[in-house]
Amino acid sequence: MSKAILTDVTKCIGCLKCVEACKEVNHLEADVPRVWDKNDGLSAENWTSIIQKPGDHYVRKQCRHCLEPACVSVCPVGALHKTEIGAVIYDSAKCMGCRYCMMACPFGIPRYDWDQTVPHVEKCILCYDRIKEGKQPACTESCPEHATIFGDRDALLKEAHKRIREHPGKYIDRVWGESEVGGTSVLYISDIDLDFLSYQTRPVDMPLPKETSPAMDAVPYAFFGMGGVMLGLSWIIKRRMKLSEEKSKKEDSTHE
Amino acid sequence: MNRVHNTKIVLWLITGLAAAIALNRFVFGLGATTNLNDEVPWGFWIGFKLSWVALSAGGFVIGAIFYMMKREKFHSLVRIAILTAFLGYSSFVVSLIFDLGLPWNIWHMIIYWNPHSPLFEVGWCVMLYTTVLVLELLPVPLESTSRYAAVRKFLLKFRFPIVLLGIMLSTLHQSSLGTLFLIMPRRLFPLFYSHIIPIEFFISAIAGGLLMLAFETLALHWMYRRKLETDLVRLLCSLSVWILGLYFLVKIGDVVLEGKVGLLFEGSWRSYLYVGELLLSTVIPFVMFVVPKWCANRKVQWIGTSIGILGVVLNRIDIGGFAMRDATLWYTPSWMEVVLSIGILSTAALVFIFLIETFHVWDIQPRDPEALAHTPPLFDRVSGAWLGNPKTSALTRHTLAFVISFAIGMALISGKKLHAEGIENVTVRPASGIDTLCINGNRDSQYVEFPHQAHIGWMRNGKISSMTLDSIHYVLRTGADSCLVCHHLNLPGEKLSICWECHTSMYSEVDFFRHDWHASSSGANLKCDDCHTPGETRTAQTARKCTGCHPSYTFADTAGNGADAYFIPSYVDAMHKLCVSCHTIESRVLKDKPNLALCSTCHRTGTPPGLRAGMKWDVTLPRFDNVVLPTPVPGVK
Ligand code: SF4
Ligand code: SF4
Ligand code: SF4
Repeated sequence: MSKAILTDVTKCIGCLKCVEACKEVNHLEADVPRVWDKNDGLSAENWTSIIQKPGDHYVRKQCRHCLEPACVSVCPVGALHKTEIGAVIYDSAKCMGCRYCMMACPFGIPRYDWDQTVPHVEKCILCYDRIKEGKQPACTESCPEHATIFGDRDALLKEAHKRIREHPGKYIDRVWGESEVGGTSVLYISDIDLDFLSYQTRPVDMPLPKETSPAMDAVPYAFFGMGGVMLGLSWIIKRRMKLSEEKSKKEDSTHE
Repeated sequence: MNRVHNTKIVLWLITGLAAAIALNRFVFGLGATTNLNDEVPWGFWIGFKLSWVALSAGGFVIGAIFYMMKREKFHSLVRIAILTAFLGYSSFVVSLIFDLGLPWNIWHMIIYWNPHSPLFEVGWCVMLYTTVLVLELLPVPLESTSRYAAVRKFLLKFRFPIVLLGIMLSTLHQSSLGTLFLIMPRRLFPLFYSHIIPIEFFISAIAGGLLMLAFETLALHWMYRRKLETDLVRLLCSLSVWILGLYFLVKIGDVVLEGKVGLLFEGSWRSYLYVGELLLSTVIPFVMFVVPKWCANRKVQWIGTSIGILGVVLNRIDIGGFAMRDATLWYTPSWMEVVLSIGILSTAALVFIFLIETFHVWDIQPRDPEALAHTPPLFDRVSGAWLGNPKTSALTRHTLAFVISFAIGMALISGKKLHAEGIENVTVRPASGIDTLCINGNRDSQYVEFPHQAHIGWMRNGKISSMTLDSIHYVLRTGADSCLVCHHLNLPGEKLSICWECHTSMYSEVDFFRHDWHASSSGANLKCDDCHTPGETRTAQTARKCTGCHPSYTFADTAGNGADAYFIPSYVDAMHKLCVSCHTIESRVLKDKPNLALCSTCHRTGTPPGLRAGMKWDVTLPRFDNVVLPTPVPGVK
């Protein structure tokens, strides 16, 4: 069963309890501003952050756990993995540190231990271990306002639509994460536009790995096609040379 | 002037500099070496080395032309082209070792497969193709000995299929390197992002490879002062004209068909970058080489090939990390990134020169006129007097060049802790106010108010309500609850110390013990033995404690327990430790103030109300403006 998180931006009061809880269960250290930080509060030591928007709106940022994650599709060694439960998890023992996942993620989520000599990729793992133990993620558990809740994705989607229906005018009629980049396991409903969470203003619904697949599918054709063309070319040229040689020989013999 | 020798010296100098940086990379990590960051995790390194692969394409192009299409004219270029390709790919791999965070795991690609990943495919192709190149190259060194004649014969027998495989693999990864970027439509600037990046990469690699070969031929002839086989260079250049034209059509076609023409004239730096790149990588070399008369001109050849190569490099660097959709996503590569990359190329060039001088790679086997064997110093035969050293041998001079520039590199690298940890050195700015302090050490949009009265009142159980000089001294002198909790009284002269006077750095520790001042005659003018016990090793641990001379210093750590005690914590740490530890305890004790330990109890945003009129409040560091520090929970006291 695919699990998910639903965050209701209208309910969040910005108390940072989720951030603290995440730090605690994932043993993340206190962080200080580093030169390589992005200005969104996420860092190697902060897997989730609260972004304040004008008018007391608080938006929690975390990995979206895409249904078809770009990061998983590009990792050359399969260090990132989309689990049955829905969590996109990271295996630091496999990673070779190419940072392709960071480049590919449409939400700019993965962070890097730039100061370490043995650096790893850092991002929310949907508290995979806790979910497996039957618990819920630390962040949703700690939220005093139930602004961010955990559950089955289908049920949460229904809940999201229900809230939008039942409070007309309160929310923007859209569930973020329902279909962007093929859908994500972290859903948002909100009274402000949340497109700032991704690189492009309006993310298209096509899963990103689909952008690469035509080129990847063409690989065998390109490979053997080029081989064929080269073989053909060399055959033709060889034959032509032979013909012209024979011809000149013949000409020679007629001359004699 | 000996061009070969001087070229080598320059290459050794760069290599030495790069070696120091390489060391820095592994000792301090990526953050200390590069300017890469969480927003731009790929940058100059990736882009630049992609261009090396592109410029190595000559290896397979010449292979195709010579072995497949039987153009005998290119014979003298075949080995050079393959060697170039081999060194280009080797440099790529070496540079990858510095770029990868965990390079010792690079072989994981062999055992953990992810066939969906373009990088996985590129990795495999590069591995296989490098092997193919070795096989293509191996007969050359084997020539010099008859021992391995059988191996050589065997390799030569399979030359055709090996070359064919090389061509097929090259086609694949030259284009797949473009596929890498297909997943970033959200990241790359639309002009640079295109669904046919793989095709563009492939075509530009062919053009780049040809131009590179022409350039190399020119450079080699210049270096060894040989008469130029202009014909060959002209041939390469005129061949590349077709490819350059095709590349231009494909690029412009893409821009037009995808409706991106408007962006060309947008006037942003990215559009200029694109236009500039288009000019360099296609238009200018195309125009230069399309006229047969110009094409045969030596000067035009030099300039045209250089510009074309520059264009390909620029293209790869742009796509590899610079041309971002978001205009704010910009990073400037650090000097170390640039020098390390160039250093790897220099090393490759040195290997190249070594190989062409040692083996029969080129059509001749050139010699470095100054590659003297080492000669011993001269002595007078009768008296045995030393007559002086002969000219230092080339080897000595090269070693010297390397060592000197390595040392310079080491000196240039800032090995500070700060630099390695990426902590910005934010100097603390003083708090404003007296009765109520407005504390905002880094002048960001948040501040903390500290009402003196409330705290003193609390400390003395409300007994002190107004501060007189007497009462200040009374409080200063009495016990753990006194003013000394905050004002440690650590400055010479028992001055009432103010936080920011010692905790001068916002986020990092500072060394406060000024050894030089204590030892200097214009300072404390102390002898070594005044602090260090004679006969003992002189360390911070064994030295006299600060309190030995400054008995009123009170803060426990100042006693000099170990070297670490000479470092005082950052402003943030100091403040938090001081306030939070008390607040945490009090929040448990005082039943009416459960929220005392919440961040929001102290941290506020905006302009402090307690600020006196006319007092300056400059918020100059808008860092983290986006991010919330907690504000008071509504409805809770
Ligand atoms: S949000 Fe980014 S890091 Fe998270 S699963 Fe999606 S692509 Fe991966
Ligand atoms: S950095 Fe690690 S996890 Fe990310 S793509 Fe590279 S190998 Fe995979
Ligand atoms: S799900 Fe777990 S790892 Fe992810 S943000 Fe919440 S607490 Fe952190």
